Amino acid sequence: MTSEIWTEKYRPNIFSDVVGQDDIIKKAQSLTNSLNIPHLLFIGPAGTGKSTLALIIVKELFGKNWRENYLEFNASDERGINIIREKVKNFARTKSIGNVPFKIIFLDEADALTPEAQQALRRTMENYSSTCRFILSCNYSSKIIDPIQSRCAIFRFKLLEKKDAEKVIRKIEAGEKLQISNESVEMLYEGSEGDCRKIINILQSTASISPIISPELVSTVISNAKPKDILVVLDYALSGDFKNAREKLLEVMLKESISGQDVIKAIQKEIWNLPIEPELKVRLTEKTGEAEFRIVEGSDPFIQLQALIASFVLAGLGKG
Amino acid sequence: MTSTSWTKKYQPKHLSEIKGQELAIEELKNFIEKFKESETDKKSVILYGPPGTGKTTLAYVMANESNFEIFELNASDLRGGEKLREVLAPAIEQKSLTKKGKFLLIDEVDGISEADRGGLSELLRIIEFTSQLVIITANDIWNKKFSELRKKSEIIPLKEIDSKTIKNALIEILRKEKKFLKEDILTNITIKAKGDIRAAINDLQVASSLSDPSEIFIDERNKEIDIFNVLRIILKEKSDNSLLNLFDSVNKPMDEILLWIEENIPQDYNPEELARAYELLSKADIFRNRVYKQQYWRFLVYSNAFLSYGISSSKKSEKIGFTNYKKPTRILKMWMNNQKIEKKKSIAEKYANYVHVGKKRALKEFPMIKQFLLKSQVQKELRLTEEEINYLNNSA
Repeated sequence: MTSEIWTEKYRPNIFSDVVGQDDIIKKAQSLTNSLNIPHLLFIGPAGTGKSTLALIIVKELFGKNWRENYLEFNASDERGINIIREKVKNFARTKSIGNVPFKIIFLDEADALTPEAQQALRRTMENYSSTCRFILSCNYSSKIIDPIQSRCAIFRFKLLEKKDAEKVIRKIEAGEKLQISNESVEMLYEGSEGDCRKIINILQSTASISPIISPELVSTVISNAKPKDILVVLDYALSGDFKNAREKLLEVMLKESISGQDVIKAIQKEIWNLPIEPELKVRLTEKTGEAEFRIVEGSDPFIQLQALIASFVLAGLGKG
Repeated sequence: MTSTSWTKKYQPKHLSEIKGQELAIEELKNFIEKFKESETDKKSVILYGPPGTGKTTLAYVMANESNFEIFELNASDLRGGEKLREVLAPAIEQKSLTKKGKFLLIDEVDGISEADRGGLSELLRIIEFTSQLVIITANDIWNKKFSELRKKSEIIPLKEIDSKTIKNALIEILRKEKKFLKEDILTNITIKAKGDIRAAINDLQVASSLSDPSEIFIDERNKEIDIFNVLRIILKEKSDNSLLNLFDSVNKPMDEILLWIEENIPQDYNPEELARAYELLSKADIFRNRVYKQQYWRFLVYSNAFLSYGISSSKKSEKIGFTNYKKPTRILKMWMNNQKIEKKKSIAEKYANYVHVGKKRALKEFPMIKQFLLKSQVQKELRLTEEEINYLNNSA
């Protein structure tokens, strides 16, 4: 059965279907052919093919039995290293099916683990190395402790290049009978920041409105999915309307389920575009930094954000 | 002179003697009737209301009148786990062998603290397994920790008893005791009681034993201040050192006081005052957090000082006029939103597992993918439930 979710439908199943990342693919292919792969560490931004490559390796190794020999989880979703260890233990207890002497465990977003948890993970990797191979994936190698890095073959994924993005887009265009202008391709690429998942998701969202993908439509879909409301909050605040600013803030945070830290991040970026004196921008940034610090320390995010908005109200009056 | 307290001595024995709770009595009767006839799935009823409004009394009198026995448990029993089950086994498992049926009474369930979560789940288990009616009393059941209990139970509120009813009850008792008190003292006792008939009867007993009954009002100074007055004092009046003890006499937990202040600062303050006041509110919150984190209670002093004197001193001048202070709504809104967002989370989780991404990432991508999650083939593929599909359709 083919999927109706395009990120799945158009996910490559064999090495030769992968677009871009040529060096990595070659390396992965020859390791897989030798039937003897070490632990792997995939490093790279989101949507560049890390999970896809892991799945291809597994499918190549195990054929139709791949599901029995493959365990996948996401470090940022698990409640602590002990739960991960437990899952690994249960999975690694039985031997692999078929002629490959090991099973594969894919741990996504491994950089979400604390250094202590990574130490524990390292021990787990060693304990089960006779029956399991680990593929770890992360965005930044600097967040992975050295002992783990030294035990893994490292694969660095690059952001998708424009020509590769276009290949993906054109393939979907043909498969789904869409019409996509060059300008729209450009816009899809820009809007995705080199993230292939994002390209495909934007494309599917746009196509669910119309099969003719115009640049205007793409831009509407992209901007609709972005929460702009933080600007409204700041507008209210700068015009001196604290109560409305506060109400809007709560509404945005609840409706879009944005965390206090994400709001702070958006505010911090927005300050530089506000119609206020340069000196004031710096002072507001100071306040924003302090608020972020306090939230990270564990203070109630909404209280800190209210205090921050109150200083924006003041700034709107030219004081502060 | 007898040593029985009047509250015991004059505790109602029949429903007709319970004053001022006609509605609650009616509701409880109806519920028990339904329970007996197995017309309801619910096996527990919560009687809630302020202290001294007759919750426990109502439970006992109702049992008496409907020919049931009360089997009372308190919060500390609930912590017992194993032991408790032994004690309860005969009571909950079968209708008792003696002719009388039993009510299980859990008095003052709010006494189960956060740390005793086990106690609360034990209670839920009891309700599940027992064939007897469980009566629960509480002052406040709107805490989040009781949400499961609320869902399972019939909820009956008991009102504060109005002052006329209290005063009449006091007069009746004096008549039976053959004692006399001056009208204005009776009135004052009634007012002071604020709907708490037990407190009123206690005061009556003390007052009638004093040679100068008006002495009973000497401790009036410590009378609690309601939250509206607290807000008025902080946000309108000149700052002075009495502010530092202001919260001692408020009958609300600090966390709640903070929310009330947070909500209402902008009602009275101008932008400059506002900025300063919220800065101090945020400092108060930081110190409150440090108390919890480090278990160092001295930090509370700073939290309180910023919250009272600090915020008060943020204004340039005293404020006049009446302000209609509002109840804080943020926590309620957050709670309601969480209920709503559950569906979104469960959809995102299914999607995440299906397309090999993390749940957090799936939630972030939600506004983008929502568009095609509306397609019924996609919904089928992800095995979304009907509720999840409804959520998507409604939020489109």
